[in-house]
Amino acid sequence: MIHFDQVSKTFAASQRPAVDRITLHVKQGNICVFVGPSGCGKTTILRMINRLVTPDGGTITIDGRSIMQMDPPALRRTIGYVIQQVGLLPHRTIAQNIALVPELLKWPRDKTEKRVLELIEMMGLDPSEVGHKYPHQLSGGQAQRVGVARALAADPPIMLMDEPFAAVDPIVRLRLQDEFLRLQQTVQKTICFVTHDINEAIKLGDYLVVLKEGRLVQTGTPIEILTQPEDDFVLSLLGDDRGVKILDLTRAETLMEPFENRLGPIKSNGHRVQSIDPVKIALEMMMQKNTDEILVCKGTRPVGILRWPAIKTHVNRISGGTV
Amino acid sequence: MNFDMDLFSQALLQRAPGHIAEHLQLVIIPLVLAILIAMPAGILLTRPAYRHHGRRVMSVFNAGQTIPPLAVIALFFPLLGLGYGPAILALTIYALLPIARNTVAAISAVPAEVKDAARGMGMTPKEILFRVELPLSVPTIMSGVKTAAILTVSTAVLAALVGGKGMGAIIFAGINFFRFELVLAGTIYIGLMAIVLERALSLLEGLLTPAHLKNRHGAHRRAA
Ligand SMILES: Nc1ncnc2c1ncn2[C@@H]1O[C@H](COP(=O)(O)OP(=O)(O)OP(=O)(O)O)[C@@H](O)[C@H]1O
Ligand SMILES: [Mg+2]
Repeated sequence: MIHFDQVSKTFAASQRPAVDRITLHVKQGNICVFVGPSGCGKTTILRMINRLVTPDGGTITIDGRSIMQMDPPALRRTIGYVIQQVGLLPHRTIAQNIALVPELLKWPRDKTEKRVLELIEMMGLDPSEVGHKYPHQLSGGQAQRVGVARALAADPPIMLMDEPFAAVDPIVRLRLQDEFLRLQQTVQKTICFVTHDINEAIKLGDYLVVLKEGRLVQTGTPIEILTQPEDDFVLSLLGDDRGVKILDLTRAETLMEPFENRLGPIKSNGHRVQSIDPVKIALEMMMQKNTDEILVCKGTRPVGILRWPAIKTHVNRISGGTV
Repeated sequence: MNFDMDLFSQALLQRAPGHIAEHLQLVIIPLVLAILIAMPAGILLTRPAYRHHGRRVMSVFNAGQTIPPLAVIALFFPLLGLGYGPAILALTIYALLPIARNTVAAISAVPAEVKDAARGMGMTPKEILFRVELPLSVPTIMSGVKTAAILTVSTAVLAALVGGKGMGAIIFAGINFFRFELVLAGTIYIGLMAIVLERALSLLEGLLTPAHLKNRHGAHRRAA
C-alpha cells in the first residue's frame, strides 16, 4: 500500500543524510514499526509520507500513486498523524481539537460531535469531564491520547504514529498498547508506528524496520528479527533477554512433545497451558509451581507435554548459547 | 506665578473640550491607518518567503522607535510642509512601529509544534494563519496597539506645532503666553483620553482573546 523506493533526505544544515536510500513496502492493514536509536531518521521517514518533509531522492507511492502528484493539505487530511510533541492547539478545547480534521473536511456538525464523543470514550477518557477542557489542563499522558483521537477522527485509512505512548507510565502504556491492538483488529488501518522501545516494537508490529543512522539495517516479522538478527547492532538493540522475548512469541505447541509420538499412559501433574499460549507463560507457570513439565491442551483435550529441557535447548540454539 | 482659577476653569470647561474631537481624530485616524499597514506588514514578515528579511526590518523598526516624536515631525516638515495631513502622516508612521513589532513577535512566538500539528492535520497556510496563528497572537498584538494608542495620544499634541490643531493648540498657547492654566487643562484631557482609550482597547482585547488565555486561574479551579 505504501511503497518507498530508494528514498533519501539530507537536511540543509547537515552533511550526513538523515534518511539514506530506503526501500520498503508497508502492506495494507499492517502495523509497520520503525525502530532504532534517537536520530536514526524515524520521524523523518514518517513525515515524508504526508509530505511534511520532501525527499531529495527516490519516490514514495500510496496505492501506486506518487504522493508528489497529490495536493499536500488534501493528502494530509486522509492520513492520521500523531506527532511526537503532541501539538494540540492551545486555544481550542479537547473536543474542538479532535474535531479539527472533520471540520476541515466539512462534515455535518452532528456527525462530528458524535464522532468526537465516541473517540474520547475510546481513549478511556470521560467526555463530560475532558471535552470542554483546554490542552494545558491535561496531563502529558491524557494529551497524548487526545493526539491519537485527533488523528483517528476522520477515520483515515493510513495512520502515522510517532511514539504515541511515550509520555505515559509503563502500566498505562501496556494498557494503551493492548487497547491499540484490539482497536486495530476492528479498524484494520495501515499503520506506520515509530518507537525506540524494542519491546513495544515486538509487541505491536506485524513488520519491523530496524534503522541505524538513516539506513535500513533489517526488516522482517518480529520473530524473524529475534531469531535471525542481521548483525551486532540488531543483536544489541534486541537486548540480553532476547531468548525470553522469543519465548513470548513462540507457541507452546511448537516446543511440546506431541502425544501421537508417545507410548504409554499420560501422567499429568495438573498444570496446563493452551497450545497457542506463548511458551513464556508455561515457563512462568513452571517456576511458580516448581515443576519442569506442563500439559499442553487444545481446549480441554491434552495434545502434548512441554518440558523444561526442550525450552532450554530452544533458547540455547537461537541465542547461540549466551542465555 | 499666580494661578488664575477663572482662566483655568474657563480653559478646562470651555476651550479645551472644543479640541477633544480634533484631537481624537489625530489619534484614531493614524491608529487605524497604522493597524491597516503594520499588521499585514508584520504578518508578511513572518511568512516563509519574507521571513529572512524579518530581522533586518525589525531592527529598522526598533531604531525608528528610539527617535523622539518631535524629531519625526521635524523630519517630515521639510518634505510635507505644514498642516493637518502631514501631522496625520507623521503620527501614522510613529504608530506603525509598536504594532508591526508586536505582530511579528506574537506570530513568531506561536510554538513550532502547534504550527507543525496544524500543517500535519491538513490545514492550508491560510487556515493556519487565521485559525491558529492570529488567534494565539491577539494578546501581544493588542498590547502593541495599546502602546501605539497611548503614544499617539501624547504625540498628537505636537501636531499643533505644524498647524495640525488638536489639544496641542491649547497647550502650546499656554506655553507661549506663560499661562500654566491652559497647559494644565489640556494635559488633563490628554491624560483622560489616554485612560479611556486604554480601557476601550482592553475591552476589545478581552473580546478577541481566546478563552484558554482568559482567567487561567478560574479555569484551573473549575478543573480541580
Ligand atoms: N528539520 C530538520 N532540520 C535539520 N536536521 C534535521 C531536521 N529534522 C531532523 N533532522 C536531523 O535528521 C536526523 C534524523 O532525525 P529524526 O527526527 O528523523 O530522528 P528520530 O529517529 O525520529 O529520533 P528520535 O527518536 O530522537 O525522535 C537527526 O540527525 C536530526 O538532527
Ligand atoms: Mg523522532
